[in-house]
Amino acid sequence: MTAMSNIQESLQPIDFDSPVVAAKSVLIPPGKEWRVKVPAESKLTVKILYGIAELFGTELTNDIEYTFKCANIAILAIDHVKFEWKSSDPLEPSLSSDTSMPYIYNMHFALEKMRISSFDGPRILIVGKSSSGKTTLAKTLCAYALKSKAYTPMYVNLNPQEGVFSPPGCLTATPISDILEVESTTWGQSMTSGATRLHNKQPMVKNFGLEVIAENRELYIEIMDQLARSVDGRLKNDPHVRRSGVIVDTPPISHLDESFVELEAAIKNFNIGTLVVCASDDSLAIQLNQKFQTQVRSIVRIPTSPGTVEIDEVARRAFQRSQVSEYFYGNLVTVLSPYTIGVDLMDVVIWKPKSKLTTPGISKTTNMIELDRVEVTASNLQHALVAITYAPRKSTPQEVLKSDILGLALITEVNDSKRKMRILLPVPGRLPDKAMILTAYRYLE
Amino acid sequence: MEDDDKVLKDFVSILDDLTFNSKHIVTSLTKMAEENISYAQQFVDAVEARITKCVPKQKLYAFYALDSICKNAGSPYTIYFGRNLAKLYKQTYLIVDNATRTELITLFKTWMMLLPTGELLFDKDSLERIEQFLIKASSLHQRQAQAMAPPPTVPLLLKEIDKLSILTKERLTKKPDDSKLQTKTILLQQLKQELQREKLPLQALHDFQQQLRHIFAQEQQVWQQQQKEQQQQYLAQQQQVQQQLSESGGAPPSLTHPYEESSLFGNATLSMSFLDSISSPNTSPLAPSTNKVSKVEVLYRNLKHKNLLFEPAKESIVTLASKLEKTINPNKVRLPPFCILQDILGDVRSYYATRNVDILNTPNLQLSQQFVIQKNNPLTEQLIHVLYRAKPNKCTTCGVRFGSSAKERQLEVEHFDWHFRINKRIKGTQNANAIIAKNIQSRSWYLNYEQWIQFKDEDIVSTNVDATAVNNMALALNQATTTTDSDNKAKNELQIRKKYIIVPDGAPDMSFQCPICTEVASAVYDEDLAEWVWRNCIDSNGKYFHATCFYEASNNHTSKDNGSTGIDSDLERLKGLINGNSTKLSE
Repeated sequence: MTAMSNIQESLQPIDFDSPVVAAKSVLIPPGKEWRVKVPAESKLTVKILYGIAELFGTELTNDIEYTFKCANIAILAIDHVKFEWKSSDPLEPSLSSDTSMPYIYNMHFALEKMRISSFDGPRILIVGKSSSGKTTLAKTLCAYALKSKAYTPMYVNLNPQEGVFSPPGCLTATPISDILEVESTTWGQSMTSGATRLHNKQPMVKNFGLEVIAENRELYIEIMDQLARSVDGRLKNDPHVRRSGVIVDTPPISHLDESFVELEAAIKNFNIGTLVVCASDDSLAIQLNQKFQTQVRSIVRIPTSPGTVEIDEVARRAFQRSQVSEYFYGNLVTVLSPYTIGVDLMDVVIWKPKSKLTTPGISKTTNMIELDRVEVTASNLQHALVAITYAPRKSTPQEVLKSDILGLALITEVNDSKRKMRILLPVPGRLPDKAMILTAYRYLE
Repeated sequence: MEDDDKVLKDFVSILDDLTFNSKHIVTSLTKMAEENISYAQQFVDAVEARITKCVPKQKLYAFYALDSICKNAGSPYTIYFGRNLAKLYKQTYLIVDNATRTELITLFKTWMMLLPTGELLFDKDSLERIEQFLIKASSLHQRQAQAMAPPPTVPLLLKEIDKLSILTKERLTKKPDDSKLQTKTILLQQLKQELQREKLPLQALHDFQQQLRHIFAQEQQVWQQQQKEQQQQYLAQQQQVQQQLSESGGAPPSLTHPYEESSLFGNATLSMSFLDSISSPNTSPLAPSTNKVSKVEVLYRNLKHKNLLFEPAKESIVTLASKLEKTINPNKVRLPPFCILQDILGDVRSYYATRNVDILNTPNLQLSQQFVIQKNNPLTEQLIHVLYRAKPNKCTTCGVRFGSSAKERQLEVEHFDWHFRINKRIKGTQNANAIIAKNIQSRSWYLNYEQWIQFKDEDIVSTNVDATAVNNMALALNQATTTTDSDNKAKNELQIRKKYIIVPDGAPDMSFQCPICTEVASAVYDEDLAEWVWRNCIDSNGKYFHATCFYEASNNHTSKDNGSTGIDSDLERLKGLINGNSTKLSE
């Protein structure tokens, strides 16, 4: 380890931007939310001076600076709160008392009662349009579950465009066993090899790899099914998590099939009891009620908070970039040292999922849940994020598809003439002798 | 330096404005003197210079300023002024006119009154010198006055006799059995009759007058003596009361001492400024405050004697406040900051809000549209406190809250210790081999299905065992997964060597024998942990092994029955080791 430290030190990102900016101080009365959008290239630091303030359910500690990059944040004042913020860029914060907090509190205590009264905790699935407050609701409910009785709710992310304890492209299930890291773009850190300021989380990560679910719904459902089986296995072994319940977050409803095929599978596989609809009106809830009223115990709508920000394509890309970066390099709080290695092209086997957009010759009879071998060339692989599976390199595509993943790696350079490539690994050491799956995500450092 | 000059300059210029009897100016001078004790000597010099230099008529006003400063600000002004006081007073007295002299004498009289503390305003010596001077001066003055006085007539003398007899009678009512006084009154009556009956020569009348005055002076002296006695008696009483209090209350002496000064009206300086401020604006700036105080105290005593006063109990808020007033400068009393008040109120409110909450016993509370959509539901409003101040202790590092029960306290202590250890590791430490062990880390591989479903999050979130053992385990696993290389094995071994056991309490000789290599290893003191440890040691079912020996042995064992990759069993075994370790520690 020590021999490697020099290389690793040079790989740590160094922060040069620290112009002196005057801090502005803000007083917020109870119940109000201070909202601000921090673009990818900006940085915001916030320090609570007094009072109880929380960020998506996680209480902020006082007199400590929090730094946010590439995030939409909403600091909620529980009592009179005074805080300081500074940013070298002109940010436009706003203050509003119109939040969906009263409903979230109601829902949390209803869930809490279910946790106390049964060994099988609540199982909810959150649906809604894009930017309707689904993830915020899920995050807040998870954070609250930690607070009074230290429950460990299982958070399931079914939206492959967002990474939770993982880079984007993955579906994950994570027991939330301790406080979330508010500054992280991925909710916090998955396990690392050293000391981190807060406790790490241990997610189950499944690679979908495509950007849009519609490219291959069959594969999406298959991956989701695999994840659900893992969750099932865990809940059987872990009475505490079982009692704490499952909170499933879904992709925007527009990404899903109009006949709600994916939702139906999710409700069945995750054994959902309550469907939570994030929407500003009842129409979606009514529609879902017609479809699912016999399959779930209740359908509850949470009105969308007016503070919810519409995320455009540019912001989403920036957010995904920062998630990839955080997976390899960590963030300002937890700095990680990835490891670059060179390998021969012939030593890697890479597969990729079928896509209705890019794979040629797809007909109705094509088995979509099948992997294709990728030719190892620069044009195919340069800057690509690949998932390293647990399946040995020479496994069959079926075995690869069924296999769990060790992690993701980034192919930084492919030299066709020298037949060599350079790969950035999150974990130091040799390239695992395993089969890999190409994802649709590219990252240029 | 500029500031110095400014304060002094201001003081002098205000002092120069004191050309008439102005309460306002005297008050502001007093205030300045009070606030700038550090300039005491300069101020004293300025006032003295003023008294010496200004025109005779204005000298009195400067004396009023001196008086006010001494009575309100007290020491060190009283000491500084005391040095030249007699000289200054004498000089002034000799220069000024008779009216001013009378005022100066009145002023002097207030200095002779005992303060409620039982002390005089200035030192006894200078006051005595002034007194002597005044006695001489007044006799001189008297002689002068005599020379100028109209010749004594019978009606004038009769008037004086009347006055005297009234005084004597008054005394007689108090001491009816004093024969001397009785004869005196009879004598006076006889004198009166004589005067009325006979026509005396002028010289005889003069003698008569002299005698009368002598008697009059005697009477006055007696009266003054009585007053003094009374005052002292009162003080003695007070001290007695205070002594009783301290005996019965058992309060620490440091507290009872200030208490002795505290009548209902607080200590002398305090109540004087208080009385000054309420006295009507047209009164002389020379506030005979001490006088007022004593009057009020006499009244207080009388009322108390007749049981007309409500006496606050010793533990009452009034008593407490009067005690606290001593320690709190009244000018600087501020409420605690808003945030502290908010915290106190909030904590109390949530304590009561969550005291009898039973979430199970709330039929309305259910995951239904009807319940969730309610705004400001009273039940939820009450329950919200559970998320925040119901656990009043907030971690200053991460914001996690802890309750006040014994169990929660224990968790809090462990949590703080954990932060401390982690921060130490993050900063990096210098270990025994002088290698700087910096916290260089990277992400770990994700777990596969079998590992994950068995995983216990308690292992990563526990704060009372070496949680890093799991990290090490993960690292060892990663390496086992991805390598078969010998140099990676060496790194792996390094990880294993890092394992240690804190020497258990019952260890007989601080050493252990590894059952595999039979070597005896002794404990080493680890400064980072502040504990005695056995390095390269692990615990398996209560037996201690060299970590390297143990790992090698178990590795050989597994590779025999599991072929090339033994990840799962490695994980299980390592976890078993760690769990064994932690239970051992918690025992």
